[in-house]
Amino acid sequence: MASIGDPEYKASSTPVPASGSGGADYFKFDVILRFLLFAASLAAVLVMVTGNQTEYLPLPIPAKFRYSPAFVYFVAAFSVSGLYSIITTLVSLSAIRKPNLKTKLLLQLIFWDAVMLGILASATGTAGSMAYLGLKGNKHTNWNKICNIYDKFCRHVGVSVAVGLFGSIVVLLLIWVSAYSIHSRVPK
Amino acid sequence: MEVQSKELKGSGVAKSSLEGKCNLLLRLCALVLTLVAVGVIVSDKQTKVVPIRISDSLPPLDIPVTAKWHYMSAYVYYVVANVIACAYATLSFIIALANGHKSKLLVRLITLLDATMVALLFSGNGAALAIGVLAKHGNSHVLWNKVCNVFDKFCNQVAASCLISLLGSLVFLLLVMLHGLRRT
Repeated sequence: MASIGDPEYKASSTPVPASGSGGADYFKFDVILRFLLFAASLAAVLVMVTGNQTEYLPLPIPAKFRYSPAFVYFVAAFSVSGLYSIITTLVSLSAIRKPNLKTKLLLQLIFWDAVMLGILASATGTAGSMAYLGLKGNKHTNWNKICNIYDKFCRHVGVSVAVGLFGSIVVLLLIWVSAYSIHSRVPK
Repeated sequence: MEVQSKELKGSGVAKSSLEGKCNLLLRLCALVLTLVAVGVIVSDKQTKVVPIRISDSLPPLDIPVTAKWHYMSAYVYYVVANVIACAYATLSFIIALANGHKSKLLVRLITLLDATMVALLFSGNGAALAIGVLAKHGNSHVLWNKVCNVFDKFCNQVAASCLISLLGSLVFLLLVMLHGLRRT
């Protein structure tokens, strides 16, 4: 397929027929979404990491994200997604330049995007449930709420989880876009 | 050239029927796994008699304490996510059985919804597992004590349910990947 497509593309030297035969093209949209994912993961990690707060009650007791394994997992997952989004943005940009690789790249991207969606959604769920527990507490198990004491820490965690949720939705949209363009590029 | 195209067509049909069978089997797996996960956690209830000492002069009072799944909001979310995924798996199984790959619109819609289910199930699992880890180990920094040393059976059943549901969400992940592979 590629061996046939390559000289043809070189001979015509116009990308319009190549993308026309391949169906709809959403790679520009893809690149924008990947950049949004990068911004969201960077913001989520930074806001979570800068949420340290020390309260004097009367001894100084700090609250940090690394005291809870759930938040550590959240930071790790979003660091990975930040790195992943940089790499795949470059891949996506290179696909715009070489249209004959597009279908193959789309398959790879949908595969890894699905894995990333799983990681990010679970990280958001984990951190969200811990944040909710910190906000409301649970009287059945005698876990008291802590957000009345550590207000700045809780604000940071809340914002971080909200941004993380946005990032997960962006990955979901990425899968939708890839799936849609794969469907449209297969002739029935 | 004609023979080649015929061969190609034949292999394509065989491949798509195999993929269709895989698709149906995976959907059935997802349906069963999420249903079992919901069943295991909903039937989970443990009552224990815990001695509580009010003051040093009095003997400790024996008070029965019950652990139920709906005491924790994360578990409620987890159950709701699993029920939605189970209902969707049933619906999509019936659609796949009736439709095959005839309607292009339905296939597209199912791909999108599969990806949504992956997100929903994984977030539910993450929420339930975070609470599970907290219950198992506690958190000394905010004085949240562990509860699994008292409610051992309850904790084990929650862990089993989480494991089954995690397998279910992996099946949905495979379904999304299969959608990609089918188009090659």
